Amino acid sequence: MEHLTAETLARLVDDAPSAEERAHLDGCATCSEELRAYEEQTRALGSLPELLPPQGDWNVLEARLRSEGLLRDPGLFARFGLTRTPAWMRMAASVLLFGVGMMSGAAWASGAPEAGGPLGAASVTDLDGAASAVRMAEQRYVDAMSRYRELLARNGEGAETVDPISRYAALEHLVLVSQAAVRQAPGDQFLNGFLASALAERDAAARLVSSGRDSWF
Amino acid sequence: MQRQTATTDAGLLALAAEGDARAIRTLYDRFSPRVFAVVRRIAGDDELAQDYAQEAWIRAIRALPTFRGDARFSTWLHRIAVNSALQALRRAETRRKREAPLPDDVPTSAPGGDVFLQRKLSRALDRLPEGMRRVLILHDVEGYTHEEIGDVLGITSGTSKSQLSKARAKMRQLLGALDQGDTEAWQVKDQGVESWSI
Repeated sequence: MEHLTAETLARLVDDAPSAEERAHLDGCATCSEELRAYEEQTRALGSLPELLPPQGDWNVLEARLRSEGLLRDPGLFARFGLTRTPAWMRMAASVLLFGVGMMSGAAWASGAPEAGGPLGAASVTDLDGAASAVRMAEQRYVDAMSRYRELLARNGEGAETVDPISRYAALEHLVLVSQAAVRQAPGDQFLNGFLASALAERDAAARLVSSGRDSWF
Repeated sequence: MQRQTATTDAGLLALAAEGDARAIRTLYDRFSPRVFAVVRRIAGDDELAQDYAQEAWIRAIRALPTFRGDARFSTWLHRIAVNSALQALRRAETRRKREAPLPDDVPTSAPGGDVFLQRKLSRALDRLPEGMRRVLILHDVEGYTHEEIGDVLGITSGTSKSQLSKARAKMRQLLGALDQGDTEAWQVKDQGVESWSI
């Protein structure tokens, strides 16, 4: 009896057998077993896991993205269009941001965040845990900003001008509460970064107010 | 919850499209294992895979402002990764060195399942002739249809189908040889037997 060829069996993983092929498979244990092996091989290929890129891959990519001008780290408020949004919305964003920062800082300081809490199930017991916690805090920060960005879009915001003095006042407030948070958790990188951004934004706003070059009045 | 995730992703993509470093890093963290996996299997080489994956990310970030959300972002990115790897492979084909030893260990993000089988499959995949490997990976590993493979590789769906059968048969042969310690069968690719390129 002549067996089905390897390519035929491989094809039959996807295709229904012809009547002749069906008849052969019904009467040939060897070919039936071989077909099952092909099916198993195909299933296994479809279950191959994802692969982690090599360590340091992001650093190389980041350098390339920067060299091509595809990556930027603008000021905290400019990044999310806050210079062009109403004061009340900026204040809302400040509260949102600060809330995220405070929750992260509190969880960080406690060292034992609850599952589902600001830092998820990560525990800060070593350097890797600390790095992971920072990454999670950043992730939540990005998520919060993403939602805020969409809120702006849904409200048709984005081109409205603002009063620079109100903006300065809002930033000053944000700096003060950020400084208070950093005093409580001086080692918290997230809060320190947040404070640094707020300070930079506030100083820029102050320069704008003092220069008198703006056209908002 | 699903709606909220989709909404969040849209905002994240909008930020990334403007070059926001944190948003792009978030995308990278979320999708780099999938990008690297498909590129690695197409390239058949760790070092090349890293270059190709980087190129794919550069292309994707560059093209992000044109992403309109007609397809899922993961699908869109996956297609860029596949195209990027295939193009790079074509460019490098004439100068690519296949003599480099296979890596002893390929890190996986999901070590579950039959790790020994996965390792065998990966080694066999790396030994498949180039064209066969591309079709097999796109169809059996990545789930592309023959029409999609034809589109990506510039071949007919019939050619894709016939090459898939050949590739599966060759895989079976290589896996069998590996089980029996038949090193001769592992030379198939290097000798250019049944080589086929697109």
